[in-house]
Amino acid sequence: MSVIRLHNVCVDLPVFELSGRSLKMHLARLGRRGRIGKDNDGVVIVRALDDLTLTLQEGDRVGLIGRNGAGKSTLLRVLAGIYAPTAGQIYSRGRIVPLLDIALGMDELSTGRQNLRLRGLLLGMSNAEIRRKIEEIAAFTELGDHLDLPLRTYSSGMRLRLAFAVSTAVDADILLLDEVIGVGDASFMKKAEGRMLDLQSRAKIVVLASHSDTVIHQMCNKALWMDRGRIREFGPMDEVAARYAAAQSAG
Amino acid sequence: MKDFVDAPHSPHVFSHIEMFATALRDLRSSLAAWRLWCLLGWLEIRQRYARSTLGPFWLTISMGVIVGSIGVVYGALFNQNIADYLPMMGIGLVFWGLLTSIINESCMAYINSAGYIRQTATPKLLFMLQAGWRNFLIFLHNFLIVILLLAVFGSKDWSTVSLFFPGLVLFILNALWIGQVAGIISARFRDLPQIISAMLQMAFYVTPILFQPGMLKDHRWIIDYNPFAHLLELVRGPLVGAAPDTLTWTVGIVMAVAGWLLALALTERYLKRIPYWV
Repeated sequence: MSVIRLHNVCVDLPVFELSGRSLKMHLARLGRRGRIGKDNDGVVIVRALDDLTLTLQEGDRVGLIGRNGAGKSTLLRVLAGIYAPTAGQIYSRGRIVPLLDIALGMDELSTGRQNLRLRGLLLGMSNAEIRRKIEEIAAFTELGDHLDLPLRTYSSGMRLRLAFAVSTAVDADILLLDEVIGVGDASFMKKAEGRMLDLQSRAKIVVLASHSDTVIHQMCNKALWMDRGRIREFGPMDEVAARYAAAQSAG
Repeated sequence: MKDFVDAPHSPHVFSHIEMFATALRDLRSSLAAWRLWCLLGWLEIRQRYARSTLGPFWLTISMGVIVGSIGVVYGALFNQNIADYLPMMGIGLVFWGLLTSIINESCMAYINSAGYIRQTATPKLLFMLQAGWRNFLIFLHNFLIVILLLAVFGSKDWSTVSLFFPGLVLFILNALWIGQVAGIISARFRDLPQIISAMLQMAFYVTPILFQPGMLKDHRWIIDYNPFAHLLELVRGPLVGAAPDTLTWTVGIVMAVAGWLLALALTERYLKRIPYWV
């Protein structure tokens, strides 16, 4: 039974200015703490998520919508367990696989095949799981003999194929996606779409951040409208998306 | 992948029994992911020495040249018998290199892994283990010099060699906790790596590497109160045939235990902040 529950979750992101990074400045300030306000120590705090309470259940295909900077990516990172909430609680059950950055964890000098293994380990696959799947992944990339050449000889399209193939081979209960669709040439694109659909149908919960209406309509049954770090609306996709579109056009 | 326990139902008693619950859980899963940090460590070495025929052995060669030239010059300066001085100094340099490279590179362990840390919920300590493993591999290359020195000059007493292994374990445990403490604080305060490398540079000159402890005469307190001198003696003593005394063992063990408690406490407190900092 996969589930994610957020209870009054807040995330404050510290933005360090140059002096906020410096131990010397920090120590020098200790002496005159009283006079200069605490917020003057070179660290700017940005509240990225503000008091989110939310339950995602099995079968939910949630589209995250909202303007740039509304907190969509931060929310995905909280759901993935990367950012621990600065206040509030999160409870989750099930294997979470975040596909936030498709280009993560590639080594230029290793061969394609070695990179498949590295990335698999990074995504939390076990050694046995990688060994079981590596042939299928290799076949999916259609890179053939190139898989035995070092990655630095690859074109950017080939890299994407490699990264996409291994990232989508992980069995996920909860799948978190951040605008990853759109890879390679037209023929691979079609194949990738099929694989994404298959992956999503196997996952029990999918959360997808996208600016594309088509993608949201195709893949989601619920929508979560984020506005300046807060939940504006959460409900059936059609209704929320319609009101979001209306608000957008109203400016 | 990660299970969080609902806070309201867990009684407060647990927080006392499992003082470092978060830190220990991270350590356990980091150790379990040994394939990952071994691979990452190895890849980094290969990246550094890409397409050079000798690879990390270049380090061995340069270390060998340094040991040879310092041995001749300082041996003459200090009026030392080369058969005593050269193994002591050479072995000292190799282990000092291991200690300082683990500490210095652990400072960057979290900062340089920001790409991984901010994209997946991996355990964090594995990046410190990666730095340790990478430098241990380089140390193994340098160990050739130690073997060579021992083969040429011999040891005063071969029966102490077995003590080298517990000594090495203590030595590395100490390097790792210092690295973990430095790595966490460096993620937040970016000038710490520079401060640490300057301090290690200074420590080099007050640790008996270039000189022998006996040369200090009345100023022996310099090494008696120098924890690095004791750490070094744990590994060098057994190899050159001088079993470390009880004080040295005690210092090594107490430092390892207290240091790891400090490292775990710091990890417990700040582990969840690391993704925000890097």
